[in-house]
Amino acid sequence: MTAAAPACRIPVMDGTRYEIASVQSPPASASADEAELLARLREGDERAFEALVDRHYGTMLAVARGYVKSRAVAEEVVQEAWLGVLNGLDRFEGRSSLRTWIIRIVANIAQTRGAREARSVPLSSLAPEGDEAAVDPDRFRGRDDAFPGHWRHYPSDWQALPEQSLLGRETLELVMGAVKDLPPAQQQVITLRDISGFSAEEVCDALDISGGNQRVLLHRARSRVRSALEEHLDG
Amino acid sequence: MAEHITCQEVVELVTDYLERELAPEEASLFEQHLNFCDGCIVYVEQIRATAATVGRVREEDVPPETRDKLMTAFREWKRS
Amino acid sequence: MIAYKFLRSDGSSVFSSFAWPLPADGPGAWVEAPVDPCRSGIHACRVGDLPYWAGRVLYEVELDGEIVAQTDKLTAARGRLVRRIRAWDEQRDAYTRMCADRAHELIAAAPPEFAHWDTVVEPSIPEGPALLGFVAARIAEEIEGTPAAYRAERERQTKWLAERLGLLS
Repeated sequence: MTAAAPACRIPVMDGTRYEIASVQSPPASASADEAELLARLREGDERAFEALVDRHYGTMLAVARGYVKSRAVAEEVVQEAWLGVLNGLDRFEGRSSLRTWIIRIVANIAQTRGAREARSVPLSSLAPEGDEAAVDPDRFRGRDDAFPGHWRHYPSDWQALPEQSLLGRETLELVMGAVKDLPPAQQQVITLRDISGFSAEEVCDALDISGGNQRVLLHRARSRVRSALEEHLDG
Repeated sequence: MAEHITCQEVVELVTDYLERELAPEEASLFEQHLNFCDGCIVYVEQIRATAATVGRVREEDVPPETRDKLMTAFREWKRS
Repeated sequence: MIAYKFLRSDGSSVFSSFAWPLPADGPGAWVEAPVDPCRSGIHACRVGDLPYWAGRVLYEVELDGEIVAQTDKLTAARGRLVRRIRAWDEQRDAYTRMCADRAHELIAAAPPEFAHWDTVVEPSIPEGPALLGFVAARIAEEIEGTPAAYRAERERQTKWLAERLGLLS
């Protein structure tokens, strides 16, 4: 829980209502950090460019993969995007975060490239299709049962497992695989939110999707990965 | 407005809850449910653990040839 | 104003895990929080809210500052725990039993098509008062076929608690 300033005698609760189940974001790029890199980049500092590339390449690749068929094409798109970043530096006004702007550039290029490849319109530009249950409906009591809609059997408590189960290498690889198997739009959103630590607003800005759309994609992505994790941990 | 929600509804609302996007009445029903349902507390914790585990995935590194290409492009851009 | 608050056995809030300053010789320290009903603030129960939030340990809480009433709780800017309500420690199992007995009673008096609702009652007991309170109210609602029946059963639960715990209504 975020604490009040130490000088304050009275303990302050601030927006901690959801603490029991709040999701810890991975450490995000500090905006002061971004400002410094941007300034150095504008001065032609090669090290600043390299640092920026290192920081964002993986995310950009993941986003590009959501729009184009092959990894090779995705890599080309990312390289093109970096040129776009350099050429657009003068125009960047700082209204969005630098990383949001960078992702928007790669998303636009990838989308255009994907359309040229005659791939069907990427899902992230449409409302999420159809229904997708977060949990198999069979896991819940049926309409004719007592307490319809309630768990038949409770899911298992992962906190009761040995620490290595969740924290180990095997689990991490399983989760990586599960994320890679996601439909493209879901993969983009969960990558930006849960791996790269973008805020919901930044994701909507970067991918040009609505808040509601973003939440549905995140929901489906997390539900699918949870399911894969459950199979692995319970099986 | 419903008096209560089911576990099946909880698992569909969990992301909105964590994102603080539930309307106050819905959030109340959600928390009332968690207050009596151990199964759903476990489920919400599973979703939190899932996001945390996804968070441990490292983004890909820049392949060496790509790095070279990009640095060359940078120097060219700088000259122009 | 005086209200009530359920906490975990270690004195932490159920949803925020906030560690409340507990009463020792007198009330615990004041805690402050900006009031934003969906997001922050001190949450507390009126007597009528108690069945919905039944938990391990019950405290009387004093609220101050801005207080917002919602359908199932109060949200306040300041609060402090005044005293632990020991009667809840003593009556918690009796309350759970009362709700279970009500559930059985309602089903016994109902047409046979509701009989299968009885099977979850006893197995739910270990999960405690919050679950049994819901079970009884849900069964009342199912048999009667109206949400009003759910609320009425909850009101019965409130009355029982107010009497047995000696609470101001």
